Amino acid sequence: MAIAETRIYMPGAPRPRLRLLEDERWLAFVLLVPTVALLGAFIAYPFLRGILLSVTDARVGVPGHFVGLANFYKVFNDGIFRTSVYNTFLYTGVTTVFKLALGLWLAVLLNRNFRGKAFTRAFILLPFIIPTVLSTFAWKWMFDPTFSVLNWLLYHLGLITGRINWLGDPDLAMISIIIVNIWRGVPFFAISLLAGLQTISPELNEAAAIDGARPWQRFWYVTWPLLLPVTMVVVLFSVIQTFADFQIVYVMTGGGPANATHLFATYAYQIGIGTGLLSEGAAISLAMFPVLFLVVIIQLLYIRRVEVR
Amino acid sequence: MIEGALWRKWAFFYLPMALFLIFLLFPFYWMAITSVRPDGELYRPWNSINYNPFWTWKPTLDHVRYLFEETLFASWLWNTTFIALASTAISLVCGVFAGYALSRLNFPFAGSLGTGIFITYLVPQTLLFIPLAEIIRNYRLGDTPWSLILTYPTFLIPFCTWLMMGYFKAVPKELEECARIDGASRWQAMLYIVIPVAIPGILSAGIFAFTLSWNEFIYALVFLSSPGQKTVPVGVTSELIRGDVFFWGPLMAGALLGSIPVAVAYSFFVEHYVAGLTGSVKG
Amino acid sequence: MRKVTRRHVLKGGTALLGGMAGILATGRAPAFAQGTTVHWLRWNDFVPASDQLLRKELLPAAEKDLGIKINLETVNGNDLQPRVTASVQSGSGPDLIMIFNNQSALYAESVVDLSDIAEEVSSKEGGYYKYTRAVTSDGKKFNAMPWTIVGAMNAYRKSWFEEVGFAKFPDTWEAYYDAGKKLKAKGRPLGQAVSHSFGDPPTFVYPLLWSYGGKEVEADGKTVAINSKSTIESVKFMTSFYKDTCDEGGLAWDDTSNNRAFLSQTIASTLNGASIYIESLRNPDKYITEKGAPLKTDILHAPLPRGPQGQFGLHTFFSHMLMNYSQNQKAAKDLLRWIHTPANYEKWFISQKGFATPPTVKWESHELWLADPVMDPFKVAGKLGQAPGFAGPAGKKAAEALTKYVIVDMYAKAIQGAPPEDAVKWAEGELTKIYS
Repeated sequence: MAIAETRIYMPGAPRPRLRLLEDERWLAFVLLVPTVALLGAFIAYPFLRGILLSVTDARVGVPGHFVGLANFYKVFNDGIFRTSVYNTFLYTGVTTVFKLALGLWLAVLLNRNFRGKAFTRAFILLPFIIPTVLSTFAWKWMFDPTFSVLNWLLYHLGLITGRINWLGDPDLAMISIIIVNIWRGVPFFAISLLAGLQTISPELNEAAAIDGARPWQRFWYVTWPLLLPVTMVVVLFSVIQTFADFQIVYVMTGGGPANATHLFATYAYQIGIGTGLLSEGAAISLAMFPVLFLVVIIQLLYIRRVEVR
Repeated sequence: MIEGALWRKWAFFYLPMALFLIFLLFPFYWMAITSVRPDGELYRPWNSINYNPFWTWKPTLDHVRYLFEETLFASWLWNTTFIALASTAISLVCGVFAGYALSRLNFPFAGSLGTGIFITYLVPQTLLFIPLAEIIRNYRLGDTPWSLILTYPTFLIPFCTWLMMGYFKAVPKELEECARIDGASRWQAMLYIVIPVAIPGILSAGIFAFTLSWNEFIYALVFLSSPGQKTVPVGVTSELIRGDVFFWGPLMAGALLGSIPVAVAYSFFVEHYVAGLTGSVKG
Repeated sequence: MRKVTRRHVLKGGTALLGGMAGILATGRAPAFAQGTTVHWLRWNDFVPASDQLLRKELLPAAEKDLGIKINLETVNGNDLQPRVTASVQSGSGPDLIMIFNNQSALYAESVVDLSDIAEEVSSKEGGYYKYTRAVTSDGKKFNAMPWTIVGAMNAYRKSWFEEVGFAKFPDTWEAYYDAGKKLKAKGRPLGQAVSHSFGDPPTFVYPLLWSYGGKEVEADGKTVAINSKSTIESVKFMTSFYKDTCDEGGLAWDDTSNNRAFLSQTIASTLNGASIYIESLRNPDKYITEKGAPLKTDILHAPLPRGPQGQFGLHTFFSHMLMNYSQNQKAAKDLLRWIHTPANYEKWFISQKGFATPPTVKWESHELWLADPVMDPFKVAGKLGQAPGFAGPAGKKAAEALTKYVIVDMYAKAIQGAPPEDAVKWAEGELTKIYS
């Protein structure tokens, strides 16, 4: 153990109790100052300024005047905004369900002993490690309307006769970005759930097997409940990230075709930075925050409940 | 193992495993093959007769050469690595200290501060980048790596903090108390006892932060502008989407080569990375 | 291991904070220390030879003549506008930024007035076209220095059109629809991008709208007039036109996709600048028709067909803005003057092989136009161009409508299945929000 080898300097008599208490709070203060300073300067302060921005009519190069909630009114009446809200929820919901299901399946598979297990585990995480923008380009090339390898494959397997317009059809484009997000997220779910699975003592499963439970029942009644806390935390992380997703849509479709695949973040970017209507872009981003906050609170409460149980 | 006949093993293990591996790893193969495929083969429509997608008999390094000669790819690699290392260093220092404070010290507002740090994770980047751009302008940090080195910790610190909290909670109180009885101050106990025990956690947090920095895109897109200052994701996106006819070769080469540093770093620390993921999840 | 006292921690903390303050105070890390550097941001030219010319010949010569360094950056055309906003907001970025059509109006408060240079060039070169002034100046100041016009014409396969009975390019929309239908039946559809890309989509939909008599606003520049019978008719036409004659991938195309599709011979005709033809000239052995002839011999150009209310064209206008956050304004202006001197500009113009039509009258009589008859239609792009925002001025609000792709999306929505009246009503709502 490290303790035995560490040398400790002895200054003399230990300090009085009063000083110790003081020390704790003071120490905590010192330790937290860098964090609080950085987060305060680069998140809290800009956040407040962002709120201020959303209630003006500022545009690029023009500071603008106070307009109250006019931007929000405009934004809520914007058809494209409503589409992007719907898309964000659909995107987050569908991908999370699939990532959980596939991740769980993969975790169960990886939980067995087989040759090359460590090797496989390492490679499995690649989609999650690689910068998203770069891997999305590979997918974009795979979905290209004229040169798609997927179309080639499906055509030669006899499954299609014409070509699939992956990125040009609004629904297919949505499916395409969902596929890429699932591809990226499954490893994260798999490895995290695997860790959770590994903390479940195998005796529990064996006992259930002796009692005559079939594999599916064993999973549902023994494994799943024990896995639930881990699952919920992973889902929470994933939802937060997916809700604010930007890179996949930006690279694959740019929000198109005709605004059909916009999410909150990409639409805010397009309006704010693309068109230069800064205040409206801020309003769109701000509109996303309470919703996310609510979603997170609900999940946290659920986790609390699950953990208590 | 799966009980029963061999066919069951195949149906329930090998086949699904193979499908997963293909699904997860095929895009990388595709990147690799496109990077070395000559242009003539590259631009054949999917339904033309001589389209052979999975292999090429005439591999070429033209695209890679183009990447390094005609673009500032090498600079981008350097920039991104530098920014990632610096942000990781800052975030680790802050995260370790904050994690220790929140998990092992008693002080007023501990709970709400922890929650506050969590809340910052929820604030969308698309809301922050305009006000941040102003701050960056006021301090004349625009178009320098510092604009990112100071802003990346905003999403790295919360993560490092939680990770470290998990690890610190697992260090028994007795260790510290022994040290304090022997006369060490809190500061010494923290620095020389608790932190060394949590080194695996620090490594995990570090490698996680490093990969997250590499992956960041929005701030780099908005705050950097000169080609020489760009990071790999921004550079590849903005300079390899060209107007002339052919670019997918260099683009895929850039995507592949741009992923290598992170993959290499990750390969050295894969155990810690995985431990970090699982630690964060449990903690 | 010295005893770590509070004093030490305080000193260390102060040093840390002081260090950070130091970083913030010194500002940018030193780049190249001496001399002025002008950072010029342009699009990736669709004629690569011109970018080569700039980098290898013209700019080194300019650096020598003017005693400055020039940092030319080229990006995807669609990324120019976001860069402008990001640069203006962070107070640093390129000194000269290229911009399309009338979008410089959006940044009027952030640019330097370039009237002096513009009027100089105009007076020396026979005057600007009306179109030129409409998109770069608001009457009082020049928001951007006019650079060039890229004419948009239909590039089409002569032999394929002949096979379906069209010896000449169809000159009305109905005829074009007819030809397209027959061609698509033979597996050779037409190609048109209807997406959020700066070039091909607007240059198709705006003239289509105008040729049916539709317009965004009335001449007073305020009353939104898009919701009219003419507009609805044009939308109805576009819906069936797209379905029956075009490659459906077009909704996801960017400006390079139709180039690639045409050159890989999957489409028969597409509205484009001359870059397709020029590329086939550049690599004649790479592009061979199914009959074995070089593709360049089978390509011709023709303007967009006529509609019931006339024949129009929207030709992409290129200009350069000088940003007012720039610390090198004088050097940038010198560079502009230098590049616009006829001797230098001519070199660039020739390298473009007719892809670019200069914004002043004098260049119409340049001998380049006589060299290749296939390029002849592009000569008068400047004369024929009409600006977005018709019938109102091509100012800020028209630029906003253009940047938001309102007209493009109106057609895209209908193509994707919305009833034409609804699509037009949607566009009316969007334009009202912009023009109010």
